[in-house]
Amino acid sequence: MTAKQNTALHTRRMLALLSYLKQGATLKLSDLSAAVGATEAEVAADLTALSYCGVPPFTPDEMIDLAIDGDSVIVLSAPPALDRPVRLSPREARALVTALEAAGHAHDDPLVTKLLEAAAAEIDPAELAATIRTGTASVPLAGIYAVLAEAIETNTKVRIGYFSAGSGTHSERIIRPHGLMNERGAWYVSGHCENADELRTFRLDRIREATSTDDHFEPPAWVSTSVAPATEDLPVAVLRLAPGSRHTEERDWPGATFNVKPNGAVFAEIPYSSATWVARRVAAGLGTIDAIETPGVRAAVREIALSGLAAIADAGTATVE
Amino acid sequence: MPDPSERLVNLALYLAKTNRFVSAEECRVAGLGYPEEQDAPAFLRMFERDKEALRAAGIAIEVNDDECYRIDRAGTYATEVTLSGEETATIRTAVAALAADESFPFAEDLTIALAKLGQGSHAPVTVTSALVDEDPRAQGSSAAIAAEAISACKFVSFDYTNAKGGSRLHEVAPYGLFFREGRWYLVGLDTSIGEIRVYALRRAAALSVNAVAPKTPDFERPEWFSVAEYSLQPFQYGPTPFDAVVHFSAEDAWRAPRLSGGTGVIEELPGGSAVWRLQAADARGLAAWCVEHGPGIVPLEPATVSDAYEMGLKEVLGRHDR
Repeated sequence: MTAKQNTALHTRRMLALLSYLKQGATLKLSDLSAAVGATEAEVAADLTALSYCGVPPFTPDEMIDLAIDGDSVIVLSAPPALDRPVRLSPREARALVTALEAAGHAHDDPLVTKLLEAAAAEIDPAELAATIRTGTASVPLAGIYAVLAEAIETNTKVRIGYFSAGSGTHSERIIRPHGLMNERGAWYVSGHCENADELRTFRLDRIREATSTDDHFEPPAWVSTSVAPATEDLPVAVLRLAPGSRHTEERDWPGATFNVKPNGAVFAEIPYSSATWVARRVAAGLGTIDAIETPGVRAAVREIALSGLAAIADAGTATVE
Repeated sequence: MPDPSERLVNLALYLAKTNRFVSAEECRVAGLGYPEEQDAPAFLRMFERDKEALRAAGIAIEVNDDECYRIDRAGTYATEVTLSGEETATIRTAVAALAADESFPFAEDLTIALAKLGQGSHAPVTVTSALVDEDPRAQGSSAAIAAEAISACKFVSFDYTNAKGGSRLHEVAPYGLFFREGRWYLVGLDTSIGEIRVYALRRAAALSVNAVAPKTPDFERPEWFSVAEYSLQPFQYGPTPFDAVVHFSAEDAWRAPRLSGGTGVIEELPGGSAVWRLQAADARGLAAWCVEHGPGIVPLEPATVSDAYEMGLKEVLGRHDR
């Protein structure tokens, strides 16, 4: 970061802190640090700098008077002006809109509109939508995300309709949601599934609907933030991927070990918790991926191929003009 | 000399506290922190930069005919926002997580935005974000630079290594930026070939913005441009696009909008099933996508896709017959 950029950020943080400094308030440095996304040392430096700021004639009542005592800040005299939240700059509004889009809110979503009308003066959401895209905004995930986020905050059980890519089945479940994770743009909720009676991770775009119940639960002492299951003790599938086939990158197979042969073929050892999940990807190779091991995966590949061929007939009866 | 940030905060407070318009000279002599030994041209340059910095921080500064200044209160102060519990939870979790994600290109601006909204505090629940899994800091940084260039309509240049390992310098008029499955992509007009191309930013090194005349745009983005038209499924990229129809069973029809990514048209059929009419460019790729997201998703048209689906599954069956 250049000195100019550093000054700009330092200034923006100082201006953002002003509205938190109410006369007589005692604030925690840690709270202010979280509020402006800086370390406690940086916030302490910001506050020290603010204590030298004011307006003419710079008498004590026209200065920002505060005292830092350990991890607390005592506001003796509030800022002489700018003590209300300032609107978002266009760049800040862009950041907010794109972040909300990544959480499933389209540019014209009511929450986005409400925030921009109240807090941002100069941004054209349509212009932003034309140039920056951080998620598939057509996917109506915002409601599901909001239900889960609030349920986690209030330790409330949630009923979900879920499509399992592992088994290819649809089910209704009651979950105790613990945490939310974004990995490669996809959101996941981790929690205890009462139907399976174990910890599970559910991908939000495979949740058909989520409804909060009236039941509450005790939050766990520790929450895993890992999307991929632990790979120890899992069976290992061995695949042969022809050059040019799908999913030839290790990032596509969590925990996999790749061995590339001189002819370009890739042998992959893949720990798995669901044979059907591996098998579906093998079948999607349409003959370019072979499951060598395990027998269970090979059987699942056969089953998927057979059901896919049977589905052709079923779909053919659909009315399509 | 006082800290430049103190001078900027003093100027903001002064303009906000003063109800009348004040001149640049009044600001200079008000003790806000402008160096006393500074000559007039140097002061005016510094004052211009300071006003620009305050505007970038969200402070709206009015100018009257006499070149005097004051804060536009309506344009500066936010009005109170009432959020529901679910809306607050969304902002305090998803948005807060992205503010801490180094691969999100606007993390710094987002942090300040949350602070201004009064939502920037410790997230009360466990929430994490890792948008990018390969070199997240570099991709986030390149995306941030690209976004600024898109906004200012300035050319960018970068060394690009294509999928075959070939590398060369590209100069591009950046039109749009999109994120898909863990990677940032830049869409722009490549000036050497005169065509719009999509570039994976993980393959772009030393991305820089044309520094000549930074406030003068280098190009005009076409009015028809929409980045969503370039944020496609892999099977939708290719030289010869064609129309396709994919059938979703009644049980899977709700998944159609989730999987379509906003492209094409989804039509509900009697009995609850649905068809997705879309444009594709890779018959085999679309057939493979249907298998991967199935069961219950089958390509109907054109024959090249449905044949690839059927023949492919028969091949799979033959290779795994025991």
